[in-house]
Amino acid sequence: MNAQNRKGRKDSITLLDQVDVKGSKKKIETDIKMSVSVDEFLASSEKISFIKRGAYAWEPLLNNMSTERSVITIDGMHVFGACTDKMDPVTSYLEANNLSAIDIKSGQEGSSHGATVAGSIDLKRKNTPFGLEKKWNGAYQTGFEFNNKQFFNLGNISYSGDKLAVDGSISFRKADNYYDGNNAEVNHSQYNKFNTAIGIAYKTSPLSSVRVDAIFDRAKNVGFPALPMDLWLSRAMITSASYRQLFNEGLIKSWDTKIYYNTIEHYMDDTRRPENLVHMDMPGWSTTYGLISSIHLKKERYTSAIEFNMYNNTSIAEMRMYPQDRKNRTMFAYSWPWVTTRFAGLSMNNSWEISDKSRVNFGGSLGLNYNESKYVEFNWIFHPGASQQKTRILPSLHAGYQFTEDHFSFSVGTGYGHRAPSVSEGYGYYIYNSFDRYDYIGNPDLKNEISYETNASAGFKNEKMSIEAKVNYFYIQNYIIGKILSLGSPMNYQSVGVKAYTSLDHATLFNMSLNTSYSILPELHWKGSLTYARGRDDKGKNLPFIRPLSYLTSLHFTHHNVGIHTSVNGDFIQLNYSPEYGEDKTPAYAIWNFSVDYNFKIKKIKTVFQVGAENLLNKYYSTYADWGNIPRMGRNIFTSLQFSF
Amino acid sequence: MSLLLIVVSCTLDKTDYESEINTVVPEHYEFKQATAVNKDGYTISIETLNGIFYQGYNEIRLKVLDTQTNENINVSDVTFLPVMTKADGNKTSCPYLYTLDYKPDGQYYSGYSVFTDISHTAANWKLYLSFTVNKKMYKANKDVTVNEQTNKNLNMTSFTGNDGEQYYIALIAPQKPKVAENKLVAGIYKYNKPVTSTGDFPDPSQFSYSEVKGYTLQLDPRMPEPSMGNHSSLNNQDLIQGNNGLYHGVVNYTMTGNWTLNFIMLDQNGKIIKGTKVSTDFTPGVPGAKSELFIDTLF
Repeated sequence: MNAQNRKGRKDSITLLDQVDVKGSKKKIETDIKMSVSVDEFLASSEKISFIKRGAYAWEPLLNNMSTERSVITIDGMHVFGACTDKMDPVTSYLEANNLSAIDIKSGQEGSSHGATVAGSIDLKRKNTPFGLEKKWNGAYQTGFEFNNKQFFNLGNISYSGDKLAVDGSISFRKADNYYDGNNAEVNHSQYNKFNTAIGIAYKTSPLSSVRVDAIFDRAKNVGFPALPMDLWLSRAMITSASYRQLFNEGLIKSWDTKIYYNTIEHYMDDTRRPENLVHMDMPGWSTTYGLISSIHLKKERYTSAIEFNMYNNTSIAEMRMYPQDRKNRTMFAYSWPWVTTRFAGLSMNNSWEISDKSRVNFGGSLGLNYNESKYVEFNWIFHPGASQQKTRILPSLHAGYQFTEDHFSFSVGTGYGHRAPSVSEGYGYYIYNSFDRYDYIGNPDLKNEISYETNASAGFKNEKMSIEAKVNYFYIQNYIIGKILSLGSPMNYQSVGVKAYTSLDHATLFNMSLNTSYSILPELHWKGSLTYARGRDDKGKNLPFIRPLSYLTSLHFTHHNVGIHTSVNGDFIQLNYSPEYGEDKTPAYAIWNFSVDYNFKIKKIKTVFQVGAENLLNKYYSTYADWGNIPRMGRNIFTSLQFSF
Repeated sequence: MSLLLIVVSCTLDKTDYESEINTVVPEHYEFKQATAVNKDGYTISIETLNGIFYQGYNEIRLKVLDTQTNENINVSDVTFLPVMTKADGNKTSCPYLYTLDYKPDGQYYSGYSVFTDISHTAANWKLYLSFTVNKKMYKANKDVTVNEQTNKNLNMTSFTGNDGEQYYIALIAPQKPKVAENKLVAGIYKYNKPVTSTGDFPDPSQFSYSEVKGYTLQLDPRMPEPSMGNHSSLNNQDLIQGNNGLYHGVVNYTMTGNWTLNFIMLDQNGKIIKGTKVSTDFTPGVPGAKSELFIDTLF
């Protein structure tokens, strides 16, 4: 009886895997490095680039668009950073060892959890199934990186019983300042992070289970060399409880419902910058609770996922300034004046296999977005009479067609969708952007940004080689960007002026990637990729933060227990930079990375030892997206040791 | 569960914005009796906001009551004259309204007094009052105490203009500014040098002040703290005279903190009476330079 149940359960799991409608998932490690941070892992996707303000908490750009334009979720849960300067993207509150995969969807295909333009990044937590034959699984990783003396310890363990499944993880990372390619210390680039997570699932019946999850993350003393201030402390508590019901028969295969609550506090200050003539604290708080309920349908060649998603977020950020003696506060203002966002959306994503060779994906969503600013007087300074409450309707549609014939595959797709302005774009007040050194002012009455996109891909694959080219093009109406305001005077230390978020008539974005792989020998594999993007505003001028032509080429050799990786990656010169938005021309660079790993077993424990170097030639460089042209890390020798059972 | 609560509660308290601006800026709307004088069966009662005479602008509400019955008496020709005696015996006054206007709605006589100094050992304020009932004039006087104005939004300044005249600017509103465009109201007065020789004390012609007519007060508000880098705001409006004789403009406070209202005062012909242009440069770490004519406020 028990065995039968288990079998039924396993079938359901395989079924669920099939139901997942398109997407690209990856294991949490990169080709070069086995123990990576979430940021480093995301960086290995060709769709993702990063804005970096230091060594920590990089802001992921999806399709060359910043986080306002993408939906970043943890298992579908919305989490919003509490820093007005975007120093805490959601990805910074996780650790590699509590994730199982990251699901990246491009454009409107990513609208299932919320309205988006660029797409979605869903961070999938580890979720051990019930009734595995091996009840206990675990891993421990430790390592040291020489450049910034990063020392890390990551441990995770899971238990899989017939009725109970538990996942737990804990991690510590601590790093000092890093050194650039000229062996100069980059001050204020240290960090210290602690993260722990637990998930407990209980099987309530053969076809149903409940699960509770919690993640606690704490970062302390995190330096941001590109900013005039640092992070004193940030804490995140991310919790959820969910119920899953599977169905053996009928159209509906599973029904998942989850309620969640997360709270983030993020305290920036400049107590470690005695050179500042001015002292300023920027505490921020973000609290979100919500509900997700989704059902998966399958009938013959048709699968569908329907999701209802709602959340309530309150974002608060303060600015407090002090004279040098810090005794008296000299000013106070809200940079986010208690902004509430409520969203409710219904989405549907369908996949229909017309034949063995061709498949149609289509779907859409309809969202209702409500914003309210409690202390609207701050918004009225620049926008007198602006609405205190604002309700927006956010529709989205997408469709795609995939065709495979022998070794060839093709796809085309299109999408249409709206997004609401972010809290900063709508309600921000004197938010200092140290990239262009302007203070930014939000506008509550900005129009929805409307995206029209098309995408296509073509590929060839056989036993020895694969090649795939992907392109997408976005035409974005009412593109939101900061424009210099002749009115008003700056406020933040180091700021040169005031910019207001305004809508351009439109902007266009083109992304292209080419990925190839070739097996030279059974033990020797080559991989290469090339990406290119171009973004322009309505006057044909360049948009900021668009990655220049970039490439990655790598070789991987394995022999018995030894693996050798080497790669070269770089960007070409940034020709299409945007001086209006504070960019200068970034020169080309190329860096060479190398690593060796050795696998062995100590009794039953699988052990991997890895040693390698990033930027082996100690090249001095910074990229198009490094704030203040802060140099990247010079040669970094890393070692890591991983035990798993 | 308790562990969860500890983890969930905030490390750093949020600013209680509403209570903070309430405590920093006390607001007074209620007129209370500030002083009273008895004279021949009549009581002169003087009311001010909060029942206190403050340095700066004070609206004066005067009533004459029957001391026995406490009933309002119909009087005429109500006059009001504040005089400050210095340690050396010199007597001066301050901008004030001599003949008070009757306000039938509130059944009181209305005026104002812009006290230039707080009371201390070397500055004694005395009010000289008179009124007429049944064609008989009654005179009275009373020592009063002028207190410091703790609300910096009601500050005042006095100065000698480039024309050699003595001027006074007193802020009247807003008492409690908001992060917003605030309607700014100020009174501008000048001292009229006596032309005739001294009459019997107290002779109002020796203590003559008048509202300045048709001037313009150009406004440039800035945050003077070094940390604020000479921060200013937008959509401010210069003060021009309204029908009630007071000067009206708009000051836009973008955040709480110390502000300086930098002024340039122009006469009817646009000639600068006092004030200098201030730098618009953003200068973090340096105290903001002020106009030679300014009033500090705290918001």
